Amino acid sequence: MKKSFGSPHASVMVPATVAGSAVASMPGREAVRTATLANGLKVIVWPVHHIPSVALYNWVRAGSRDEQPGITGLAHFFEHMMFNGTTRRRPGEFDRLMEAQGGANNAFTSDDVTVYQDWFPNTALEFVLELEADRVANLAFVPEVIESERGVVWSERRLHVDDNNQGLLSEQVQAAAFVAHPYRFPTIGWPADIRSWRLTDLQLFYRTYYAPNNLTLVLAGDIEPERAFMLARRYFEGIPRQEPPRIARVAEPEQLGERRIVLRRKAHTPLIQYAYKAPAASDPRAPAVSLLLSILVEGDSSRLHRLLVEEHALAIEVGGHWQEGFDPGLLWLFLTLPEGADIAEVQRTLDRELASVAQHGVTDAELARAKNMTAAGFFRKLATIDGKAQLLGEYEVFHGDWHKLFEAPERFDRVTRADIQAVAGEILERRRRTVGVLEPQLQERSA
Amino acid sequence: MSASVVGVRVPAHERTVLENGLTLIVMPRHDVPLIAFNAVMRGGACAQEPDQAGLASLVAGLLEKGAGRRDAFEFVDAVEGVGGTFSAGAGSESIAVRGQFLARDQQLLLELLADTLLQPRFAPQELASLRTRQIELIKAARDCDPGELIGTYGRAFLFAEHPYGRPIMGSESSLARITHQDILAYHRAHFGADRLTLIVAGDVDVNWLRQEVIRLFAKWPRAARNCGKLPRPLRVTERRILLVDSPGSTQAHFWIGNVGVDRHYPERATLDLVNALYGGRFTSLLNTELRVKSGLSYGARSGFTRGSVPGEFAIRSFAPTEHAGKALDLALGTLGQLQETALTADMLDSARAYLLGQYPLDFETVADWAIAMGEVELYRLGTAHIEAYASQLQAVTLAQTRNVIESVFPSPDAVAVVVVGDARALRPQLQHCGPLTQMPLTQPHFACAHA
Repeated sequence: MKKSFGSPHASVMVPATVAGSAVASMPGREAVRTATLANGLKVIVWPVHHIPSVALYNWVRAGSRDEQPGITGLAHFFEHMMFNGTTRRRPGEFDRLMEAQGGANNAFTSDDVTVYQDWFPNTALEFVLELEADRVANLAFVPEVIESERGVVWSERRLHVDDNNQGLLSEQVQAAAFVAHPYRFPTIGWPADIRSWRLTDLQLFYRTYYAPNNLTLVLAGDIEPERAFMLARRYFEGIPRQEPPRIARVAEPEQLGERRIVLRRKAHTPLIQYAYKAPAASDPRAPAVSLLLSILVEGDSSRLHRLLVEEHALAIEVGGHWQEGFDPGLLWLFLTLPEGADIAEVQRTLDRELASVAQHGVTDAELARAKNMTAAGFFRKLATIDGKAQLLGEYEVFHGDWHKLFEAPERFDRVTRADIQAVAGEILERRRRTVGVLEPQLQERSA
Repeated sequence: MSASVVGVRVPAHERTVLENGLTLIVMPRHDVPLIAFNAVMRGGACAQEPDQAGLASLVAGLLEKGAGRRDAFEFVDAVEGVGGTFSAGAGSESIAVRGQFLARDQQLLLELLADTLLQPRFAPQELASLRTRQIELIKAARDCDPGELIGTYGRAFLFAEHPYGRPIMGSESSLARITHQDILAYHRAHFGADRLTLIVAGDVDVNWLRQEVIRLFAKWPRAARNCGKLPRPLRVTERRILLVDSPGSTQAHFWIGNVGVDRHYPERATLDLVNALYGGRFTSLLNTELRVKSGLSYGARSGFTRGSVPGEFAIRSFAPTEHAGKALDLALGTLGQLQETALTADMLDSARAYLLGQYPLDFETVADWAIAMGEVELYRLGTAHIEAYASQLQAVTLAQTRNVIESVFPSPDAVAVVVVGDARALRPQLQHCGPLTQMPLTQPHFACAHA
């Protein structure tokens, strides 16, 4: 983005939280309205009126998964360009006009999608929809702006990757984990590609992916659905439908053995990352995978935190992340170790525990705790218009139907200990993982 | 712009002061089955002795590590077992315990909170492991994200001996000095009913909750010590630079600051408008120069930290090492530009619309309200601080902005500057900026003259 990009290192230490509830059913389903425009653009509206504000998420089905060698990072760079002028408005006008109407905005790019977000007072609804439609229909590509924005992306890359050991290591692990699938590309892009993509690359990407039939517009907040649909028709319906994008056809071949990346860097703190091959977001096992991750790393009572941080002081932080995408991706574990730690010993302890989960499963208390944490996290998220727009969009885009959001509590509730043990056995297999280790180089420490 | 934007109204709530001085605020709201709480204890990092940086943070951390009949594991199992959140942290002037539970678990919430505040275990082995872990986490931040530490260096450099200069989380060297006796002494002196404001917001029955709080907390004595008053920090009057050496960094982080204003500053709305235009939003002067026009940085921001006495005004940004001097000069240049160039009515209207439009988003959930009311009480601001803000923003004139710019925003020649990056490459770029002090990033503390 603008302010962050969404690959694993953007969410280091933040366990995945996914909708679900063992506690109460989810209200709101009856309020949600949808409309599909003649050009294929789907609009979803969740009206709620507790504050006079609106959250808008424009989901574009384009991410680093849609790139090829030589143009990695293009989807993310494109996200930057969407703020940099149209044939009607000069570079910078989008932000200037948005803020003058009381709105703020952001955007992020992941392996699978690019998402544009606006938060604004209800009085600015028409204005914001017109601004959003303008950049989908009329983006301009000003060569000087492309060059200046390249510098911004460089700065972003240095911040999150080159000067950040967790980011640097996870980029290497992800690149090693896939041999064929474009999930191996870093969303921020390889340095040489950032330097070299051209105007024609951007134009082609725009035509292909920023077509109304490839977008989903989600709004939550203090608006009436019919008015939102009317305005969406007014500003978006004239944008022509395009040929659907080529479907990414590459399937990652079965991983046949453990891969290992060791980085030696000047540092105090050793790092370990495990990246296991894991199912896609739409997989029927998704709730069990999500609960397994919660049992392993979410909260101070989670298995790995208690074992490694509290009981044995082998790590100072433990986290995890499941990359829930269109295609099978990765389930990550991140460990930060104390200075001077015996990396091999930590790995042995970790491996023993992971094997035990696969062999012996988890306890009733662990499963109940994970279900309760998931349910409560879900309510906390749905308490905001931002959370509503995000969750509706995630279910529509990654699960194929926003209705599934409201079925999620039941799906999580149905997960059994046997289901958890089964997915643990399938996922936590050594031959299907990539291990990343950052070994600190010796350096003098003035104390 | 729209002049019809409505401000934020504080929802109906009950405020009770118990005989022992405890303040209770209950704000019922029933649309989501959640309860948020915020227990704010006056004191915090400023209440500790000068050589005890990190003590209040450790006290806060230990509040989660066992209380009443539960040890650390049993305590966190009780919280997370029902899907609750419960965390304690120290600030400059308070220790706050916050969290959210599902409404069905409100009895448990109150029991855990009362145990935490009245009967913390402070087990010595928990202190030892928490202290070690905190030290290691600071080392990990030096490796992975030195930018995260730059505000701590900045405050140490700017405020020097003033309590605001001490790192709230502590440093490797100060944490290592803290003993179990220090923890107990802090708790004896600075915990007590008159120090606490408890806010509970959400799906609760007001009468039931009040009775329960009285039952659990009415016998709690007042704190042994009074909360002292902080001295007013002094502004720096010339420019000086601290260079924190991180060999091999590809990027340099920088921080530019001076003493700003306190929580009761009467021209707050004007100040916020000017800061939005200067460095508080994406299209600000600062971000436009460093990101939009030059592409030197991913972003640049400015802001005020306001306490019971003036905290810092600070600018933060970063740039590739080879362009860091240029980026710093640009940032300093914008401070001069702000002093020399008149704002226009259009600019003011835009900032006004922006702040009015974004303000309601800060008061959306019960957790937002628990935090907001905690600040209102801690700094004794009154609810007008929230409710009158919109009309104050509407009333600000260009003449007022001029006055605030001249009296509060620093001149580029009178600022403390901290740069974290590769000193060998940076020194030549920074020589012209002013007297320069250098220290390695690996020092186990944040003050350049180690006390």
